[in-house]
Amino acid sequence: MDQNTSVRHSGRKFQWALRGRVTILFVLVLFVVFFGVTARGFFTKISLENIMVSTALFLLLSLGETYVMISGGIDLSVSSMLALSGMVSGVYISSTYHGTGPAIGITLIALALSLVLGLAGGTFNGLIIANLKLNPLIVTLGTWGVFYGGAELIANGSPVGNLTPFSYVLGNGGPLVGWVVWITLAFVIAYAWIARRTRFGRYIFAVGANREAVRRAGVNLKRQSVGVYALAGLGAGAAGFLSMAHFQTASPVAGSDYLLIAVAAVIIGGTPLTGGEGSIWGTVVGALIISVLENGFVMLNISAFWQLVAVGLTTILAVYFDEIQRHFQIAQAARRNTA
Amino acid sequence: MDEQFSVRQIAKSYAGVQALQDVTIDFASGLTAIVGDNGAGKSTLMKILSGVEHPDRGTIVHNGQSVTIDNPVIARKLGIESLYQDLALADTLNVIENMFLGREIVTRRFGIPVLDERAMAQAAGDTLARVRIGLPHPKTPVRYLSGGQRQAVALARALYFKAQVLLLDEPTAALGPKETSAFTSVIKELVDSGTRVVMVTHNIPQVIEMADSIVVMRAGRIVARVAPQDTSEQQLLAFMVGSQETIEEASPQWIKTHQ
Repeated sequence: MDQNTSVRHSGRKFQWALRGRVTILFVLVLFVVFFGVTARGFFTKISLENIMVSTALFLLLSLGETYVMISGGIDLSVSSMLALSGMVSGVYISSTYHGTGPAIGITLIALALSLVLGLAGGTFNGLIIANLKLNPLIVTLGTWGVFYGGAELIANGSPVGNLTPFSYVLGNGGPLVGWVVWITLAFVIAYAWIARRTRFGRYIFAVGANREAVRRAGVNLKRQSVGVYALAGLGAGAAGFLSMAHFQTASPVAGSDYLLIAVAAVIIGGTPLTGGEGSIWGTVVGALIISVLENGFVMLNISAFWQLVAVGLTTILAVYFDEIQRHFQIAQAARRNTA
Repeated sequence: MDEQFSVRQIAKSYAGVQALQDVTIDFASGLTAIVGDNGAGKSTLMKILSGVEHPDRGTIVHNGQSVTIDNPVIARKLGIESLYQDLALADTLNVIENMFLGREIVTRRFGIPVLDERAMAQAAGDTLARVRIGLPHPKTPVRYLSGGQRQAVALARALYFKAQVLLLDEPTAALGPKETSAFTSVIKELVDSGTRVVMVTHNIPQVIEMADSIVVMRAGRIVARVAPQDTSEQQLLAFMVGSQETIEEASPQWIKTHQ
């Protein structure tokens, strides 16, 4: 390869890498500027913190959902896992802590409980989907019911309060942006790293693109599938604990609004339902777009119903532009190949 | 005869239909072409050799030993690489990622195996240069590649992992004339370097040009083994369809020279 072609190639590589992401980053900037101009107080500390925390809670669901959707599946149970793990850890705290005692220890055990429960629930999803070869949409719709039902059974009909002061600190305190955002950021970095730097991550994409090719390449597809759903569950478990800690309530219906926006963030972030491509960073931008939209609407005193309409329309538009872009790129490549 | 790679009395049936019956072939060094009409059992035989299908009876002998090829991974471990008819590439992954799919080079960071992109890019660069079919930047997703370019990626994979036996199923069906000739010359090079190539194809002129020995199959059986210099397109076609008349009608010259 001579130097000229390699220079031209690196330019093209740059285009491949950036074209998709720039578009949604541009949309995010557009929304931020729009609300910055129209909504008074949008750029205040409290408003921006609000956006970050509300993003963090459902972004934890979107991270694992990104893996699942890149590999060509879907997980509808993440929002109910949030409720179940929050409920279990909330009940554990309120039944062991009575105003005195090792509050920090109890809170950390509750956190561990949430994470283990999320991991176990996700593993259960993965095992069923991989071993019984069932459609993930049906399986996770089933476990959605199982997890919500479980949360209701544990709650016995009513939400739980009386939590530890340390859980309040985890949910609402912490340096600068607060623990909730820091913990979420750690998850974002870990999930992005796994996707890009490990074999497991590479196979998430490969399975979504061509399952048969991956099977013939000798990859254990069952283990891969279980891993993907387990990590979706883990994120949901963390979200369950943090949402309980943030709102200082464990409710059996927590997170019921999150499923739509968690999936929407993944789609707006550039992961197609057909799988094979997408990125954690795209999902982060997608989640921020949704939060900016929601918070901006609140500040403009626009009804909450319009927020839903706006999120729905943004998702459809995002898919449409993604599709156009993909067609354009394939057509361009075909022209280059015949030239 | 060289027995380093052979099949003995292979039989396979699907739902009562006998796809292969008593198939015995010694794959001599060089390129063995397997020709036959649709349904002759060529593809079934290739699937058995690559571990995708399992024979009902019979043995496969590799390096003088009887082997069981339960799955494609075992085939690869034995040094048997395949270029599938449907080109088993992951569309959204790039050229390098596809070349190393399932066999990525990793380095350990803090004890965790991490993809070594640089090592893979370097290793791929040298191999891709040998394939000669013009490829775009190796970080281009393969869905933007033409049929020939995709074939080149699959071939580069076989080259890099130093196949002892290379299985080709209709390798040039999706290629243009220029790509076919580039592909042919790479295969010849591979054969010269000692790789045993087994090729299934409909392209009879190509068989005569490339093969060192030709096996003709019909209805799951082997009906002829010939050397390319001792046969003609017409004779091969006659063997494939099983009509003696075809030989006489189509090629009086052949009859004359071979009587």
